[in-house]
Amino acid sequence: MTRPLHVTDLMVQSPRGAPLLVLPHLRLGAGQSLGIRGPSGAGKTTLLHALAGLADHVSGQVRWGETDLVALGTAQRAAFRARHIGLIFQDFLLFDELGPLANAAVAALYAPRNRRADLRSAAEQRLRGLGINPAPRTVASFSGGERQRVAVARALAHDPGILLADEPTASLDREAADRLAQDLATLSREGGKTLIVVSHDAVLLDRMDHVLNLQDGGPI
Amino acid sequence: MTDLWHSLPATAQDLILLVLLILPGVLTGAAVLHRYHPWPLVRALIWRFRAVSAVFSLLIAVSVAMGIGLTAQERGLRRATAQAADKFDLIVAAPGSEMAVLMATVFLQPTDLPLLDGAAYAAIASDNRVDLAAPIAVGDSFGGAPIVGTTADLVHHLSDGRITGQIWRSADQAVIGADVPLQIGSKIHPAHGAGEAADPDAHSGHGAPLIVSGRMAPTGTPWDRAILVPIETVWGIHGLASGHAPRLADQLGPPFDAAYFPGTPAVIVRTRDLWANYALRSAFTNADQMAFFPGAVLARLFAVMGDVRQAMSLMALLTQALVAASVLSALVILTRLFRRQLALLRAIGAPGRFVMSVVWSFAATLTATGAGLGLVLGYGAAGLLSALVSERTGMAVSAAPGWAEIHLVAGFVSVTSVLALGPALAVLRQSLVAGLRG
Repeated sequence: MTRPLHVTDLMVQSPRGAPLLVLPHLRLGAGQSLGIRGPSGAGKTTLLHALAGLADHVSGQVRWGETDLVALGTAQRAAFRARHIGLIFQDFLLFDELGPLANAAVAALYAPRNRRADLRSAAEQRLRGLGINPAPRTVASFSGGERQRVAVARALAHDPGILLADEPTASLDREAADRLAQDLATLSREGGKTLIVVSHDAVLLDRMDHVLNLQDGGPI
Repeated sequence: MTDLWHSLPATAQDLILLVLLILPGVLTGAAVLHRYHPWPLVRALIWRFRAVSAVFSLLIAVSVAMGIGLTAQERGLRRATAQAADKFDLIVAAPGSEMAVLMATVFLQPTDLPLLDGAAYAAIASDNRVDLAAPIAVGDSFGGAPIVGTTADLVHHLSDGRITGQIWRSADQAVIGADVPLQIGSKIHPAHGAGEAADPDAHSGHGAPLIVSGRMAPTGTPWDRAILVPIETVWGIHGLASGHAPRLADQLGPPFDAAYFPGTPAVIVRTRDLWANYALRSAFTNADQMAFFPGAVLARLFAVMGDVRQAMSLMALLTQALVAASVLSALVILTRLFRRQLALLRAIGAPGRFVMSVVWSFAATLTATGAGLGLVLGYGAAGLLSALVSERTGMAVSAAPGWAEIHLVAGFVSVTSVLALGPALAVLRQSLVAGLRG
């Protein structure tokens, strides 16, 4: 289920209380895409973490539909991510010792028994859709582009309505980066997923419906 | 409840104790793993950090092996010692150290002992409650094997009548213990003394060599390495009286004539009835001699050793506790190694208990593997030690697996796996965002 995003009076602080990010207001319609741009240290990743419910020391509201992540406890936020959010990271964060299918379907290891088979077949379909053979025993020999596509399949295996990506193309060569940008844009537009991407990559940002510029922990 | 416990067979008690010891670990595992399947990730983590994992398991293995090796070895030694004394119900000797007599008779260690005279021996041998009263003559050796002069009855008693070949028929024949490296028909030239001090030439000129006529079945005692000869032969070699009046000079074995009896350091007595032992011990104890049960002397020795054993068990337990503590602190450090992987799992929405189950299974796998390996290593080490002790003493020492060690290992694994919840929980308290950034 796709949900609109509604952020109000968001403030993220460091463990010592210094403000890292202040965002009075942000709205994104369901199924739309948003690029977050800005120099290093501007608070882009911090914002993405806050939107995913990963950050600590957060105040204000981060509402996905009716759910305010800031008001939830750690376990409830984890459960919300497990149902509704897919995450993609700059350096993929795969288990090198596992194969593409085991990586993409890692959620099956803790999902309720009756959902495991669905998760695996969804992961396999996503892999094939992204042009990855699910069979190899490990992903150790995969290229950066292949790894990031495995990570995308992992983010999509549970069919989330929200996709959050942190510099997804930064570790890829130009060709792989362009292909991924294309894939992500298609997912948002045709798959109806709300997509938020932190990136420096102009090609990727150009494909987004909206772009938010951050600097020194706040919008410009 | 206590009565019920005591009414159970020993094996049942040991099994129940084992189950009780394992239970906390199993319950912890069941609670942590319920409905989760972290094993592919655990395997992946162990493989990625295989060197550290191997060292971790080996450390546990070595510490477990040391605890097990010590206790198994000590028990094997105690059993073998008790078994060695099994055939010696009652020993009568001149007053002195019971332990010295025990060492000289049961364990055949060279010892200087005062002698009992013919009258004393005759009084013992003629008591109608006595079934066997064997004098011994020790001090000579051949090729490192002690030569013991005694009676044919004692040879039958020690070997339960299981003799290959035959018992001696004349003064120039000998029966060898199961481990003596000679064959039936071999010739023996007794040397005076034993070990380094043996003098092979002292008895030369005493006529023909002895010929091995039979071999005793294994007894698992130091007597397996002894050469047994008629006591008259030993006396003869040393130029002493033969124990018999001159007209019976060729007689072997009892009855002995007190007037021609050169003396014996000890008389090994077997009674017709078990209960008579106590009466005879009193009857044979007087100003000129003492009578004692070797089993009782060993029991006193074991009582002293028991304190040592308890100290050893305590040390083994403390060592295990220390190892468990280091295992857990090492685990905290290990979890730092894969905190990015764990942060990733939490980020994509894995429940906290699942992340815990990954860390816990990792710790439990390495601990159980190390403990299992330690069990094998421990028995291996104890087996080697036992072989060494058997080689040195002639006693059949075996370090068979015992419940005590299995309980120790089960308790160790169980306690460690319960305590491993600590580091597993600590992982959840680490900052997720910091973990993701690496």
